[in-house]
Amino acid sequence: MQMTERAFAIGSLLILLAAGVGVGFIPAWTTEQKPSDIARRRTPLEARGRQVYIQNGCTYCHTQYIRPQDWDHGAVRVAQQGDYVFDRPHLLGSERTGPDLSQEGGLRTDDWHRAHFMNPRFTRPASIMPQFRFLTDGEITALIAYVQSLGGKMADARVTRQKMWHKALAAAFARGTDANFAYLHSLVPEQWRTMPNPYPPTPEALARGRFIYEQSCIGCHGNFGDGNGPAARWLYPKPANFTALRRIGASGGLLYYQIMNGITGSSMPYFKTELESEKIWDVSNYIAVSFIGRSDGNTAPRGADAALEPVDPHAPPPPAPESVTAPPLTSPALQPEVNAARGGMPMPGGGRQGASSPTPAQTGPAQTLPSPRHAHPRPAPERRRP
Amino acid sequence: MRFLDDQPGSAARNWLLSGAVWMSTGVLFGLLAAIEMAAPDFLGGYRALVFGRLRPSHFNTIIFGFLSMSLIGAGLHYVPHLCATRLYSDKLANAAMWLWNLVVLSGIVTFLLGYTSAHEYGEYIWPIDILAVITLLLLAYVVFRTIARREEPLIYVSIWYFGAALLWTAVTWAFMGGTGARYGLNDAVWTWFFGHNIFGLWVTPLALAVAYYVIPREARTPLYSHTLSLIAFWALITFYSHTGTHHLLQAPVPAWQKVIASIDSVMLLISVYAFCANVWLTLRGRLWRVEQSIALKFVFAGTIWFFIVSTQGSAQSLMGLQRLTHFTNWTVGHAHIGLLGFAGFIASGAIYGILPQVTGKPIYSAALANFQYWLMLLGTGGFAIVLTIAGLVQGSAWLNGEALYRVLPELGVYMVARAVLGTFVVVAAEIQLWNVTLTLLGRGPKREPLEPAISLFDQQLVEGQEPEGA
Ligand code: HEM
Ligand code: HEM
Repeated sequence: MQMTERAFAIGSLLILLAAGVGVGFIPAWTTEQKPSDIARRRTPLEARGRQVYIQNGCTYCHTQYIRPQDWDHGAVRVAQQGDYVFDRPHLLGSERTGPDLSQEGGLRTDDWHRAHFMNPRFTRPASIMPQFRFLTDGEITALIAYVQSLGGKMADARVTRQKMWHKALAAAFARGTDANFAYLHSLVPEQWRTMPNPYPPTPEALARGRFIYEQSCIGCHGNFGDGNGPAARWLYPKPANFTALRRIGASGGLLYYQIMNGITGSSMPYFKTELESEKIWDVSNYIAVSFIGRSDGNTAPRGADAALEPVDPHAPPPPAPESVTAPPLTSPALQPEVNAARGGMPMPGGGRQGASSPTPAQTGPAQTLPSPRHAHPRPAPERRRP
Repeated sequence: MRFLDDQPGSAARNWLLSGAVWMSTGVLFGLLAAIEMAAPDFLGGYRALVFGRLRPSHFNTIIFGFLSMSLIGAGLHYVPHLCATRLYSDKLANAAMWLWNLVVLSGIVTFLLGYTSAHEYGEYIWPIDILAVITLLLLAYVVFRTIARREEPLIYVSIWYFGAALLWTAVTWAFMGGTGARYGLNDAVWTWFFGHNIFGLWVTPLALAVAYYVIPREARTPLYSHTLSLIAFWALITFYSHTGTHHLLQAPVPAWQKVIASIDSVMLLISVYAFCANVWLTLRGRLWRVEQSIALKFVFAGTIWFFIVSTQGSAQSLMGLQRLTHFTNWTVGHAHIGLLGFAGFIASGAIYGILPQVTGKPIYSAALANFQYWLMLLGTGGFAIVLTIAGLVQGSAWLNGEALYRVLPELGVYMVARAVLGTFVVVAAEIQLWNVTLTLLGRGPKREPLEPAISLFDQQLVEGQEPEGA
């Protein structure tokens, strides 16, 4: 074949145009632009925040879509095409140096974001995200509004829940240390409140706990566990001062629950997606020993020793099977009488969730939301600790 | 040097020089970005130096400054040379040179100020898009007018690629800037169509064209096969233009688009291997020339990187592998193997091979150029290894259910290694600028041993004979 300029120029241009029609225009014409159940338009403030996000190239490190194989941050929902119909330009991203942000809205408080933008190392010592202290106050406010909108209506529901709990937590915090801790502890189910740490605070466990503390907690709770980490300045309610728990006391299980679950409404995030069980027990032991001054690790009531733990010469022998008569324990939700007897959980209007009231999954504000998976009962700040 | 020089060869020289300048600038942005990823507070949080602004400045300066300008400079030399005529207008080509420099410079300024379209590899805002399309059309005009008045009846393969790439890119770029009303995933599909055309239909053909020119010329032997170059050319435009969606294999775009992208990404290997076979068979028995010609050394290494990056690229276009590698540093490694290893080595080869031809001045120091070669090889090879490992660490941890924050601290060592290896590339780029500057100032050795010109057309085409040794 002889290549003339006509052959290579026109011939190849025609191929390119055909390809452009096939993989550019036809998709654009044939793809239905139907909003998904969570898509919504952005407010002007959120749109301004999106501009700040674009200008500073956040999209080079943060993706905005969750894939079926993802487990991390935001993996509450796999991305759908209809989630993006209001996005122009698209900000899907191509690299995940930082976590995915497609469901970031409502996972954390505005305060947390502000501290984090001042310097991400404040809240997360291992982060390599740049500091955004140079942004003006208005830019940061807009950026936070945008970030809180990520996830569409699902995020809105979470933001509403955050705000609702935030009001309660702020009111409790204003009432002083003891009342505040009493309130926070009342939010933890009783089984956890009374559960000691099942593992002994061995030096090895404490060293591991310290490693976790320094990677994940120190920014807010501080070097000395007094709640005066570098991020604390931007947060309200302030991070917990563990040293006050010397007086008040806190079981290993209580700490575990709060670390696992976070404290919705405050800037305390959940760690369940990144710390496995043992790591949470270790960091609970570390906090107990270093800041509270004592750990209930491995004290009664205790079950069977884990085979991994050092042998404890004082451990009781296994009970004789004939001596056990109590019915097997199951979840209180399956045992309405037990639940009612224990007082249940706080419900809207100070009521109690007992035998006759529906479970939170059937009622509450989350019912109307697109995904009622994380429904929570509303808090009742005026309620005293039972 | 006048502002709009009309000296024959002045345009090629100016484009090549600009390429060397932009390489030395672009890698500095890369180094700053690399340092920030290892030590995020190092630069202290200045607005214009935040990572997200350095990153587009880095690769746009590299792609559109260094790679594009050196490879176009080479084209402005070999097109008239292979057509046995002079360039239609050095004046116009010099005007295009200033316009294109303006594109690259305003790109840097706008990114650092925070103006960007946010489309990866198409970050320029629309006024710059318009300027770029005008410049491409101007260049295409000069090139096609030159081809039209050729004395040599046959058109050599380098010219197909160069002429066609100018048209392809002008067209896709015009559509890119011109259809701004896309939302959501349509926008994503369309921008990756464009983004991938920048690698596949712009950088790749420009670099392949230089390889087709430099390799037979420096090896002093005709090209192995005209037929293979035809296959490679038509396969490139047919398959490369369909692959954009392989950047979105895990996004919720329609499955048929992913299937097309995956299949055509693998089919692309026809083009890649036809090219590699052709130029490597051309070098058969003449590999020793690599030690005599620094340009050949760079370009030959570039073809090996091309083989690697494309084979890797086809593999990672398959869902199975991309499940592991997507979103990780593996892709950053791939990008550097492609643009620094393949295109960057060939662009440096173009500078060293063609600058002496257009200016008549020998290279200031072949030893320095050789030193630069080894620095770049070490840097690029190191990038490939370090970033690929980092990517596998990230990918396997995520697939295993590890949270991103738990893996992040493990990456520190790779980020430090990348910054150190990047320093080699930065030093190489500065050496190149120094070498080019002194060459242009005439500080090189006095005489260049003259080698008689040879025909690059393969003998079958010219004489109807089998190529030597076939
Ligand atoms: C047969 C050839 C090739 C194929 C099939 C291929 C395939 C791919 C794929 C699938 C990706 C996306 C990876 C991901 O996001 O997970 C990618 C990214 C990339 N490729 Fe290639 N590649 C090829 C050759 C090249 C060449 C020759 C270059 C350079 C000239 C190149 C430059 C890039 C760059 C810069 C990226 C990064 C895009 C980003 O920022 O996400 N590729 N390639
Ligand atoms: C000619 C040389 C180079 C070329 C062609 C080049 C090209 C590129 C490209 C295309 C990307 C985008 C990658 C992607 O999206 O996947 C990139 C990113 C990057 N490059 Fe380079 N680069 C070069 C040299 C360097 C050097 C010398 C350094 C470091 C000292 C460097 C550091 C970086 C960094 C840190 C990123 C960002 C990676 C990330 O976001 O994780 N590059 N480069």
